[in-house]
Amino acid sequence: MSALAAAARPPSRPWRELAARLRANPSFMLGAALLAAMAALAISADWLAPFDPLRGSARARMTAPGATYWLGTDHFGRDILSRVMHGARLSLLIGLAVMIVTGLAGTAIGAVAGYFRALDGPIMRLMDAFMAFPPIILAIAISATLGGSVTNVIIALSIAATPHTARVVRAAALVAREMDYVEAARAIGASHARILVRHVLANSLAPLIVRLTYVFAIAILNEAVLSYIGVGPPPPTPTFGAIIANGRDFILEAPWITLAPGLAIVVSVLGLNLMGDGLRDVLDPRLRTPLR
Amino acid sequence: MLGFALRRAAASIPVLLLVSLITFGLLWLVPGDPASVFLDASATPEAIERIRRELGLDKPFPARMADWYWRLLHGDLGRSLLLDRGVTEAILERLPVTLSLAALAFALATALGVAAGALAAIRHGRAADRSLMTLALLGLSIPEFWLGLVLIWTLAVGSGLFPAGGYVPFTESPWRWARHVTLPAFTLACVQMGFIARMTRSAMLETLGQDYVRTARAKGLPESRVLTRHALGNALVPIVTVMGIMVGALLGNAVVTEQVFAIPGVGRLIIGAVLSRDFPVIQGGLLFLALVYLAVNLVVDILYAAVDPRVRLE
Amino acid sequence: MTQHFRLTAVVAGLAAFAAWPAAAQKAGGDIVITMVQAPPSLDAHVSSAQVARNVNLHIFETLYARDETAKPVPDLATGVEVSADGLTYVFTLRQGVKFHNGKALTSEDVVASLERFRKVGASATLLAAVDTIAADGPGKVVVKLKSVQSTFLGNLSSPRSPIAIMPAEEAAKPGGQARPIGTGPFKFVDYKPDSHVKLEKFADYVPNPAYKERDGFAGAKIVHVNSVTFRFVPEAGARTAALESGESHFNETADGPTAKRLAGNAAFQIVKVLPFALQVVKFNHAQAPGANADFRRAVALALDPDEIMAIAYPDIYKLDHAWVYPGSPFHRDRGAWKRDATAAKAALAKSGYKGEKLTFIVDSFRPNVDVATVMQQQLQAIGVAIDIKVADWPTVSKIGFTDEGWNFWTHGFGIEPFEGPASVISPWVKGTSQRKADPRIDAMFDRINSEMKPEEQQKIFDSFQDLMRDEAVALNLGDYGLFQIASAKLKNFKPYRIPRMWGVWLE
Repeated sequence: MSALAAAARPPSRPWRELAARLRANPSFMLGAALLAAMAALAISADWLAPFDPLRGSARARMTAPGATYWLGTDHFGRDILSRVMHGARLSLLIGLAVMIVTGLAGTAIGAVAGYFRALDGPIMRLMDAFMAFPPIILAIAISATLGGSVTNVIIALSIAATPHTARVVRAAALVAREMDYVEAARAIGASHARILVRHVLANSLAPLIVRLTYVFAIAILNEAVLSYIGVGPPPPTPTFGAIIANGRDFILEAPWITLAPGLAIVVSVLGLNLMGDGLRDVLDPRLRTPLR
Repeated sequence: MLGFALRRAAASIPVLLLVSLITFGLLWLVPGDPASVFLDASATPEAIERIRRELGLDKPFPARMADWYWRLLHGDLGRSLLLDRGVTEAILERLPVTLSLAALAFALATALGVAAGALAAIRHGRAADRSLMTLALLGLSIPEFWLGLVLIWTLAVGSGLFPAGGYVPFTESPWRWARHVTLPAFTLACVQMGFIARMTRSAMLETLGQDYVRTARAKGLPESRVLTRHALGNALVPIVTVMGIMVGALLGNAVVTEQVFAIPGVGRLIIGAVLSRDFPVIQGGLLFLALVYLAVNLVVDILYAAVDPRVRLE
Repeated sequence: MTQHFRLTAVVAGLAAFAAWPAAAQKAGGDIVITMVQAPPSLDAHVSSAQVARNVNLHIFETLYARDETAKPVPDLATGVEVSADGLTYVFTLRQGVKFHNGKALTSEDVVASLERFRKVGASATLLAAVDTIAADGPGKVVVKLKSVQSTFLGNLSSPRSPIAIMPAEEAAKPGGQARPIGTGPFKFVDYKPDSHVKLEKFADYVPNPAYKERDGFAGAKIVHVNSVTFRFVPEAGARTAALESGESHFNETADGPTAKRLAGNAAFQIVKVLPFALQVVKFNHAQAPGANADFRRAVALALDPDEIMAIAYPDIYKLDHAWVYPGSPFHRDRGAWKRDATAAKAALAKSGYKGEKLTFIVDSFRPNVDVATVMQQQLQAIGVAIDIKVADWPTVSKIGFTDEGWNFWTHGFGIEPFEGPASVISPWVKGTSQRKADPRIDAMFDRINSEMKPEEQQKIFDSFQDLMRDEAVALNLGDYGLFQIASAKLKNFKPYRIPRMWGVWLE
């Protein structure tokens, strides 16, 4: 391997060192623990949930929390604890899917805009236009247009989250484009695609990972808003938002229906935000928290 | 400065055009139309057709689109299909509601957020820092509409201190205005508070390590003066830059808060229009929000240049 | 948790109050009512939505109106003379009636209003039988029909989208643009969308001298309060909170659990408006398997309406499967719901249904979603697989009136059973609601419209109800109601199709 080729490789962080630094970061570890607990509840819902989340018991309608129903029941007589556990599954899945879709779309758009000068203007104007809509209104409008389903909620939330992500990647790509090692790679005849993937993307990985953690968190919050407005995933499969929307009419009589899923959101989002902070500290201290 | 402002304003025109095209794209795809909102479930197809004609919805979509742009060139956003008034009037009559709510939320968030952030920076690494920052992060992690519901449940019913919803204009009664907007403004401010507290803290920690702060201390200035004048003053610069994002977020999140607290603001106008297919209001409302967002960002850029002379206007 | 809670005492108390002498009345005050939604229009002609009626029928009046038992009685008219051939109706107008703009009501206004309704009315078919409308001097209006119509006075007095009488100059305006100027006991003050509509007592209103007290939408409408404010509060908890903190006097829609909680509290009166509507489940006959009567019968046999209604409308439903309300002269007991899982499975096997996923569309009104959710569970037991699709009303009603994209649809039928048999049959004519015309239903509709003898009308209606049940054209799960909660300060309130604010006073 020639010295030139070696120089063309981006300065890669040793993963082991990264893991060690993350382990030493209390924010990240606390956040990861919260999220892991929530994910464990979600994954184990089939075995650990005390009741069927979809089937209600006529005699137990709107029972306050107690010995049988730890978190009470809703007006169908369905166990809230079981619904929250199963709801965690779908809510986390939606968050994860939005994170992945946004990551892929944002990276593709941002990298292309940042790397190819001619495309930068038009692409970023389009992203500006999408960002000029308040994201939640955009998501509501898209979900109302496509119809409320899990897939459509993921699409709506991803479209709302992508422009900002694309901007983050573009900024990193702009920097990378000017780096010596990219010019070197170009000099030795590497293809655009290769340079994009190997060098430009590698350089934007740190801010992207941090941003995507927050995208995950925001997706969980916004799924709940969509359900609250009435354009979220359809019943009976629970999501955090759907359980809250179901209990809202009874907030004064049966607050437990609304409280438990709300707290589950807070724990999940707090976990993700803490992880995001930890990742930011370790990966890129210059980054600031984006606002939802 | 003026040239910069004008150039930036001109640059936002294509963005606004794209905004309106995206909105038209959505409206073109969205199923259903406002005729159904007038009717109950056993309306005959003829009745629906008649209402559609009355509302001008029988014209082909491109014709309606051309119509809209033509009117827009004359400064006319059209008429609401459901609210018995022009779109401009519908927006303007609600603007004071949303603005006063957002302004109060902004003031609350800034005052408390900066105070908390500054305190955390001064007590860097100590218990106060950690608990304030946990609180700030908690604020960022709470779903607004849920917080609103919980506040109605806990405060609006039992204590009777705050009304559960509705709105009274400031001009009608400042006291009743304050009572009506306190809970929603607090709900709205929660996220922002956390955000500002975190921003202030990190910005201040950065400035506390700068040379001029050390110089100020070395000159023997009292610590309180060093902190307020030098450290905090400079820490506010990055906060100004995020105000644009904040206003955007406030306007967006106000939608949900307005819904929970039955406040007749711009956000509820637009969501109501989306759910009832009041096409002119959706189109005009979203364009208006985009305009506000771009204008705020422009102002922020100018402000940024004003507070930080290192930034050149290009 | 105790399940016993008694509204009957409260309701009985209210009824007793209604019969009280007028001595205790108190004048003045502003009543605040909280409602879920705002009316889509204050132009009474163009909307048949329930929320529009709540407000508009305080402002507007009609020639004939429905009384307490839904019978058409004179309101702005003093009476009608019908020619022997049943084709000519001569209405005599009440004297001394003024519009809110100060103008006196004349036959010219009535003619203009009826003509306008024929053009822009949301339920213009109500006047489909009308040939000509003409004034006969200032105090009389002559309506000629194309053919005999038994339901004509019923149609004319329908509150669905009221055939409101407005000044001729307002009636000249296109649909949706007439200003809210009527002859009613309340006068329009202002409307702030998403906030409120305010009405005030119309000082020049002369209560109909033909009556002693209120009677349905007609009667002597005596206003004691100064004004009424309808506030739009979508959140159920916020509506209750407003009532409990004294900001409002009347919550137009409350849930069962809220009513139960406040039932023992002397500061509130719980009002049961039952029946308010019946829960209909529609099948799409244009698509398999809804096209198959065996499939539809299987669904009916598998359902337990008691469980469905108890969840969707806790404490405020009645398993009455007649297509009109008890109290209507056309109401007959239709018996209990037949449930039979074995028969359901057998019918399902005959139907050719192979377990494919079916689409259940429903709007986001919580009880409707509840009905769909429980039905999904119950039908799963016999092997019918359902996907629920919740959307806003425009989307759902768009899809539900087309041949594709749905198999089941549920919502309430509120005003049709109130209006009577012909109105209940009407949605199924030409297959509008079930997406496949049934000549038998169309024939029944034509016959009941021209049949003047009530006994014969009853026979036709009974055969319609038999057909609906035997072939499960659509399902009628039972009647549901509304809980309304009023402050104890509101006196002499009597529940009806809309919360009437005439005849009541504040203490």
